Amino acid sequence: MTNFQTIGLTIAAILIAATFAAAAARAINRRAALVWIAVWIAAAAAIARPALTMTVAHFLGIGRGADLVFYCAILFMLIAFFYVYLRFKRLEREITTIVRHLAIRDSVADAEAPPERSSR
Amino acid sequence: MSLAGIFVVVPAYNEAEAIGGVLEELRRTAATIVVVDDCSTDATAAIARAAGATVLRHAVNRGQGASLQTGIRYALTRGAKIVVTFDSDGQHDAADLAALVAPIRAGRAEVVLGSRFLEPRSAIPPARRLLLKLAVVFTRITSGMRVTDAHNGLRALSRRAAASIDIKLDRMAHASELMDQIRRSRLSYAEVAVSVRYTPYARRKGQRGVHALRVAFDYLVGRWVR
Repeated sequence: MTNFQTIGLTIAAILIAATFAAAAARAINRRAALVWIAVWIAAAAAIARPALTMTVAHFLGIGRGADLVFYCAILFMLIAFFYVYLRFKRLEREITTIVRHLAIRDSVADAEAPPERSSR
Repeated sequence: MSLAGIFVVVPAYNEAEAIGGVLEELRRTAATIVVVDDCSTDATAAIARAAGATVLRHAVNRGQGASLQTGIRYALTRGAKIVVTFDSDGQHDAADLAALVAPIRAGRAEVVLGSRFLEPRSAIPPARRLLLKLAVVFTRITSGMRVTDAHNGLRALSRRAAASIDIKLDRMAHASELMDQIRRSRLSYAEVAVSVRYTPYARRKGQRGVHALRVAFDYLVGRWVR
């Protein structure tokens, strides 16, 4: 085994363990955990058996295994980016709901007790 | 004409320069005025309060769509019969209010949309006219609404319409979203001719044409983020 493989497989093993731990602690849901573990296993497979990527690349009509890994990495990042974007949009809506609730609640409180507020 | 039960929602963000005049004009209509201060850093809220308006304050800036929805929700809790939306930069004319709410009072429509294109009352800059016409085509394609002016901030909603509308797009794409919701909730609608004043202030504060693409993108993404 090359040094690169030793380091790469160790990191993959740590990430798999960390993903399991996060799922157990409910920090991520089960579906997300499965996706991440699949990604780590695919990465580990590509590191342990580089020839594997070549086989898949040729099957897909891509010249080199390294190119396949590169394309997959970019695709994965784009998907992850889009997913985060959607989550961010949802979070913004949740913030708006809170801000709206506070604005209306405070105005109602003002209307019910104006002297106390204005004397401050 | 009495305007009791009518709530005018005025979304405002850093409009200290113009909002005093707008509220002064609105006060003469005897409608209830609700200013939604979208976390302004200037004297907007103080001026609005001094003018006798109810002021709701967003603790964080959330955009015009969010402000409108806050004002509409508040008006409903206060028993509004009709909710009017009115921009705070001085582009609308309070004299249009009576004609705007008339179709709702007569039971002819649940939603009344102000249109600057029905009658040639406004001096619309040519570039703006083109952009607004493109927006009308966009609205026709995405919402199927055949209107002449899809992005006019002056509108009136019956209580039933106001209750069924829930603006989720916080920023400027809410105008198109509103059209979708009118269509989806099968609310009857009418257009009424209103004037839009293109004051130097309103033009400076208003949306620039280049923002249109961003707005369209927000709208299309918003259609399927739930």
